[in-house]
Amino acid sequence: MKNILLVAAREFRQIAGMRSFWLTLLIIPVSIVIGALVPQLVQNDDAARVMVIDRTGGAEARAIAQRFELERDRDLLNDLSRYVQRHHLEKADMQAPWAQHDRWYSDAEVARFVADGGVEAAKAKIARVKPDATPEFEASKPDYEMVPVPASLASAADASLDEALKPVLKPTAKDVKPVDYVILVPADFGASPLVRLWANRQPSPRFMSNVQEVLTRDLRARYLTAQGLSPDAARTAATIAPALAISTPPPGGGAREAMLVRSILPIAAAYLLMMSLMLSGSWMLQGTVEERSNKLLETVLACISPEELMYGKLLGTAGVGLFMIAVWIGCGIFAAYATHGAIADMIRPALDPLTSPGAIVALLYFFVVGYVTIAVLFLAIGAMSESMRDAQGYLMPVILVIILPITILMQAVLGGDGGGVLVEVLTWVPIWTPFAVLARLGLGIPAWEVIATGVILAAFTAAELVLLGRLFRASLLAQGQKPNMREMLSRMRAVQN
Amino acid sequence: MSVLALERVSKRFDETLAVDDLSFSVEPGTVFGFLGGNGAGKTTSLRMVLDIIRPTSGRIEVLGRAPGRANAPEIGFLPEERGLYRQMTALDTITYFGRLKGMAVADARKEGAALLERFGLAANFKSTVDKLSKGMAQKVQLATALVNRPRLLILDEPFAGLDPVNQGLLEEEIRRMSAAGATIVFSTHVMQHAERLCDRLLLLGKGRKKFEGTLEEARGELPARLSVVAKQDPSTLAGVESATDSGAAEDGWRRWDVRLDPGVAPGDVLEQCTAQQFQLRRFEQVQISLHDVFVHIVGTPETAQ
Repeated sequence: MKNILLVAAREFRQIAGMRSFWLTLLIIPVSIVIGALVPQLVQNDDAARVMVIDRTGGAEARAIAQRFELERDRDLLNDLSRYVQRHHLEKADMQAPWAQHDRWYSDAEVARFVADGGVEAAKAKIARVKPDATPEFEASKPDYEMVPVPASLASAADASLDEALKPVLKPTAKDVKPVDYVILVPADFGASPLVRLWANRQPSPRFMSNVQEVLTRDLRARYLTAQGLSPDAARTAATIAPALAISTPPPGGGAREAMLVRSILPIAAAYLLMMSLMLSGSWMLQGTVEERSNKLLETVLACISPEELMYGKLLGTAGVGLFMIAVWIGCGIFAAYATHGAIADMIRPALDPLTSPGAIVALLYFFVVGYVTIAVLFLAIGAMSESMRDAQGYLMPVILVIILPITILMQAVLGGDGGGVLVEVLTWVPIWTPFAVLARLGLGIPAWEVIATGVILAAFTAAELVLLGRLFRASLLAQGQKPNMREMLSRMRAVQN
Repeated sequence: MSVLALERVSKRFDETLAVDDLSFSVEPGTVFGFLGGNGAGKTTSLRMVLDIIRPTSGRIEVLGRAPGRANAPEIGFLPEERGLYRQMTALDTITYFGRLKGMAVADARKEGAALLERFGLAANFKSTVDKLSKGMAQKVQLATALVNRPRLLILDEPFAGLDPVNQGLLEEEIRRMSAAGATIVFSTHVMQHAERLCDRLLLLGKGRKKFEGTLEEARGELPARLSVVAKQDPSTLAGVESATDSGAAEDGWRRWDVRLDPGVAPGDVLEQCTAQQFQLRRFEQVQISLHDVFVHIVGTPETAQ
């Protein structure tokens, strides 16, 4: 055991001494930070400026403005609800819509929120129960700002607007703010459904859907009025819509979103397993190839057995892989603290699978055994290769065989339908079992299946260690051409060389 | 008790019989030469002694035990094909191998530092191997074999690839270890080294033992040769197998290369000359080299495979 630890420590030190190790170790946290910062840096926080030239008398422009106002209030209500949930401030007013979470707020509820005084009234209620340490609620900026129509445009003929709007959409003067969207509702709107939109960029789907909805309602009301319905009845008919009472079932109840959140941690574990394996595995491979090509194996084997060398290398590499994962998790925890719990709140539902000791054991078991199962393949490849070029010949097919189905597996699990037959098949094939079981832990996998696949994986790994151990031992001092399949099988059969 | 004993050991790789019924033993404190051409079975035999490979048949005893890693703390080994971890420092490398041989880390570092100092590498303790010259790396490799002050030092073609300075250093270390009571077994196909260092020799050809004994006994395997200056032809003397005229000396005397019959001592022939008043101006025994013995017993090193 002492020799195994000595070899493992040397392997660890060797890999940790490589520049590529530290680059790889840091690349994930750095890329996550960049990923989080870049959208904020490039994001345009300014509200999109909207101008509506309404030739019908102003009703359409008002309807559109009201709609944007409603959506703005709905956003505020949602933000407020998340703030209240994060800081556990529901007792400020248990009946208020913002004290009920994870739901869709209907137009009526938003209207009630506004009628009750909106954000300011809510903040006043919250202030009575809010501890001093809890930060104030800060309302986000609105998405849209309505811009009045200048007299020159209001009086301009429709046909001349193309030319007249150019300086409005793309002003040449630096201190003039551009208008992002200009909507023209022609005088014959109703008789004709045509409405024109100028935009200085690709219109956002949300903007389009809001405008479309407002104008569609009005178009229908106008049509119904033309058919003889009273204007009030026509307006009412146009706004008739089912009132969907939406609530999110508790986790485990089958809601897709909840399940996806619960799957984050297991799927992340499967991804981390794959990434750390591919990275540390290739370093281990390099180390083994170096020992062969530098001709130091004989010196080593005079002191320790091939088995001690193999287990030491496996342990050292597993240590590297686990160290990388520990650092990444550490960065995650640091980020959770650094963001005052905002990230922690988001990932709390993802930690649900860890509430059961069985799930924790399964997560650790499949992670560690999965690591050994795949790492020993890299080790055998290293022992058979005289150089890294030799090793690539074996490595590429092995990596493809491992990674391709896993990529499909992840997609299938994220697809949310449980993955179907493919995922079931991958669960039972030992080299993919760790990834499949890890990925499925959040979705719910029957306990008997976890145990059965765990037992099969253990048996497979034990057999693999024996057979690839023989291949490793027999290949260490073998010279000459790369062994073919027949030679490999013969080395696996050789009990002692 | 022998430090190393092989009894009827054979090793077969598929169709090739690499070592064939080999038996020998090495007594404590001996410098034992293992001589043979390329492919004669030297490395295979040494690997079996170290338990890197197992014999097909026969029995091996090392330091009174079966071969195995339990012997590692008392064995030093320098393989024919040498290499080191390129990113490790010289001192760390020696310490690592010391620890693999069961030494405490402090002892291994102390002994490693002492060896590096003795080998003139005191300034290179912290240099990584890839920064060392080839000659320096060879010294570090030698230090990894010596760090545990082994009772049995096994050297496989130790002089191969060494520059003359390091060859001298290695010879000195072999003598130092021998004087300290260690047993040294080394394989070589360079006869001069064996001639200078070995107490006993084993000549190997095609995996089989061809000869085992002292250097003198080895020389005794060849008929004695004389360099003689005489007026008459020495081939008339009893015990002389042949005499070749190799040219004129001064005043009518001639030089002769004389080969004696096997088993005939040069002293007997000299005695005969005196008795028969066979006139001589020079009577000198020619020293037979180990190379000649090897070629006589095994064939040329190249053909002895």
